[in-house]
Amino acid sequence: MSKRVLLADDDQLLASLLNFRLEKGGYAVHHSANGKEVKEYLKNNIPDIIVSDIMMPYFSGIELIDYVRNELKSKTPIIIISSAGNEQNVLTAFELGANDFITKPVSPTELLVRIGREISK
Amino acid sequence: MLTPLRQIKISLITAPEFNLDYLWWLTILFLVLSIVYFVGVFIIRNRITSNNSRTKEKKVEFSPMINEFLFYEDSNTKEEKMNYLNLKIQIRESIKNKFDRHVLTEVLLDLRKDLSGQSQTVLIDLYKDLGLHHDAYEKLGSSKWQIVSSGILELTTMEVNEAYGLVLKFINHRQSTIRKQAEIAVVNLKEEGIKYFLDNTKYKIAEWQQLKLLDVLRHKPNYTPPQFGLWLTSTNTQVVLFSLRLIKYYSQNDAEQSITTLLKHKKRDIQAEAIECIKIFHFVNALPTLKLVYPKASRDIKIAILDAIGEIGSTADVPFLENLKSTEKHFNIKSKVFSTLNKINPESVLPTKNISNAAFYDVEINVDSQETVSELHESQEELLTNIATAKSSLNTENKETVIEETFEVVSRVEKAEVDKVEETRTKEIHQGTISNEVEFVQEEPKEAEMTDEIDSSLLLHIKNDVAITKNSVDVENIEKVEHLDKVKEDFTFNFLPFVVEVTSIEEQTPSFIQEDFEPLFELEGEFIANEQEVPTVIGLEQSLTDEIDEIDWSSLDKVNVEKKEVAIEASDSDEPIISFENGEVTFSASFMPQAELETMVILENISELGNSLELDLLHEIIEENSSELIKERANELIQKFSYKTPLPNQLFDKENDLSESVFTDIYHLADLETKLILLNEIKDVGDAKEIYLIESIIESESKKLAKVAIEALNEIKSRVVLTTEELRPIANDPSIFDVNFKLESSESPKIRLASTDNGSTLFDQLCSMSHSLYNKING
Repeated sequence: MSKRVLLADDDQLLASLLNFRLEKGGYAVHHSANGKEVKEYLKNNIPDIIVSDIMMPYFSGIELIDYVRNELKSKTPIIIISSAGNEQNVLTAFELGANDFITKPVSPTELLVRIGREISK
Repeated sequence: MLTPLRQIKISLITAPEFNLDYLWWLTILFLVLSIVYFVGVFIIRNRITSNNSRTKEKKVEFSPMINEFLFYEDSNTKEEKMNYLNLKIQIRESIKNKFDRHVLTEVLLDLRKDLSGQSQTVLIDLYKDLGLHHDAYEKLGSSKWQIVSSGILELTTMEVNEAYGLVLKFINHRQSTIRKQAEIAVVNLKEEGIKYFLDNTKYKIAEWQQLKLLDVLRHKPNYTPPQFGLWLTSTNTQVVLFSLRLIKYYSQNDAEQSITTLLKHKKRDIQAEAIECIKIFHFVNALPTLKLVYPKASRDIKIAILDAIGEIGSTADVPFLENLKSTEKHFNIKSKVFSTLNKINPESVLPTKNISNAAFYDVEINVDSQETVSELHESQEELLTNIATAKSSLNTENKETVIEETFEVVSRVEKAEVDKVEETRTKEIHQGTISNEVEFVQEEPKEAEMTDEIDSSLLLHIKNDVAITKNSVDVENIEKVEHLDKVKEDFTFNFLPFVVEVTSIEEQTPSFIQEDFEPLFELEGEFIANEQEVPTVIGLEQSLTDEIDEIDWSSLDKVNVEKKEVAIEASDSDEPIISFENGEVTFSASFMPQAELETMVILENISELGNSLELDLLHEIIEENSSELIKERANELIQKFSYKTPLPNQLFDKENDLSESVFTDIYHLADLETKLILLNEIKDVGDAKEIYLIESIIESESKKLAKVAIEALNEIKSRVVLTTEELRPIANDPSIFDVNFKLESSESPKIRLASTDNGSTLFDQLCSMSHSLYNKING
């Protein structure tokens, strides 16, 4: 059974591209375009890994980490993707419990490797 | 209506005649126009919305195709390969449509921003493969600047190197957006682009543009920069400036002569950049030019030059800086001159601002010594009075004379500043000794450093006194003194109790005897700590013993004197305080009455744990006890607990830091404008404390500041005078002195016990020792 990846990104083009690459890499990907959808999905499903953008409508990536770690008490690996790769964002993400941080522009192949590494931990 | 007879009715303004039929036509016209407007907005909005939705749909449509292209691998299965080929045909058909081509270009440009690595390379290849760059070429021919600019941006983003030649012509375009876009494109597309740009650009290169160009160069992989020194001769000053910055960034130090020459450039920016380069590359040969351009340079450039001299200069440049020290008037530049001097020649310029001169401290020392001398005079006068009283009493009781001399010499190494004062004290004591036949010394032990000369003179004086008095001396007592001296050689005493008793020992009070022996304990306590003092003290003791040996005993009257022991005993106890057995000194715990000892213990406890609430108890103790020791200790504690925080007028005394103006520090750090603001503030709110600061400003600052300072000074002075006049009537009113509190005397008692190095008094030690012995005895 393939590993389930929750891909949370409001950028349709990039999400579609990453979705394609991850599925090609053997993962079962669920795409959510905004924070609300992510929250709804997480109420009923716990994926093997979450790949999320920081800036999303309704619910930011940072809030998502907080929700997963503190409310769901889940240890699901979380990889954050953001074009705002400033120090403060990175530190906040890691402080709240993110497992990895990738700055845009992102290499889909690299993301695939990082996901594999986090799942195998 | 009736009008007055003399009023002439003239209609200056008359309302135009208006045909009411037109009103309806106008209403209809405005209605039609508003309908057209709203319909127009509706149509345009719908078109944009539909266009966006179409674009979105197309993007969704193109997205999987692009994904397939981007992640296509040769190792894919046949089906995948077939699918890939089909998609390629499909997409080529699609881009025949202008709108589709536009959307596809948009998608690729968007993805270009989000992707890196291999995917990015594939994406760019796909863009070129589909021939979308030809659309960009067409945009370059547009008459609209925004379309041309977007075309250049597209070609730059998609790294279409072939477009380099087409973009070159826009380098000197009169439209700044196109020009700037072209500059970045030229530098980006080819390595030699920067050369072309620097050679050919005619327009100004904005600071932001320079940063962007530098950023483009920085991110170029395997980039080998040209020698930017070649463009230092450019006629475009902006090119020279940008070249200097590039030289600095890429650390190209092969243009020393050119950079040195640029120090004489008319543009300040170029001068500043050249100075920066000289400083970084350590061009020592540029020092003469730096000095040459200095006099006519602006303030900023002067500071930059001084900074460079400080960095690369040597002691040979000190005369130049010394000259500037006296000629420069501006605060910032002068400060920089000082710092540069100190950088080249450390500690050559010392702080001068707010430093008190040496005379200020000399005055303090003199005052202190004078106070000490006057105190000594007072004590001496008291002693003389006591002596006179004693003499008269002795005369009335007939033929009973008590001669007792006690010299206490404590040798200590004191600080150099106190030496003068101590010497003065010593001299005063010595003079007092010579002038009096009989002297009771009950003062606190003087912390004096006695020289051998002073010691010998004192000893001679003792000898003479003893000879003159012609009284019988108890030989046994002298023997005891000698015995004591021998013991002291072993135990190192730094004082000299010398008792020559004749008669009437009964007159000595117990407390007096105790005081005579107090230094013994002190010395015993210091015995281990002050081993280095041993030779001096022993020498002193020995010399004294020798002096005693030299006394002509035969000349003394052989009066039948009853054997009376030297009263080294407490009044209520028969046991000696100190006994010497087998070369060991033992102290008796019962040298004080039991009741007094207990009171002393209470006092010590109060000292450690008490506060001002114990004042009443201490007063009671003084009233109830007759012992001088207890009274003295109680008084000390009263003084200790009565301490009050200083009054505001004491805080603002001249010797206190608070007396200085609060504006002083801020003023000295401020620039001209801030100084003016501060002076105005001082003028408004300042008082007498600010006068010293303002006077120093008037003396040292520029005319402009001095003028404002003078105004402020006058204002403050008038205000101070007013305040004084207002206060005068109040001061004359005696009712304000009806204060229901009593001021505590801060004057310390003249007679004090010796203080040890650790701050505790001898009395403290005595009491603590007695306390411990008391506890020991009681188990």
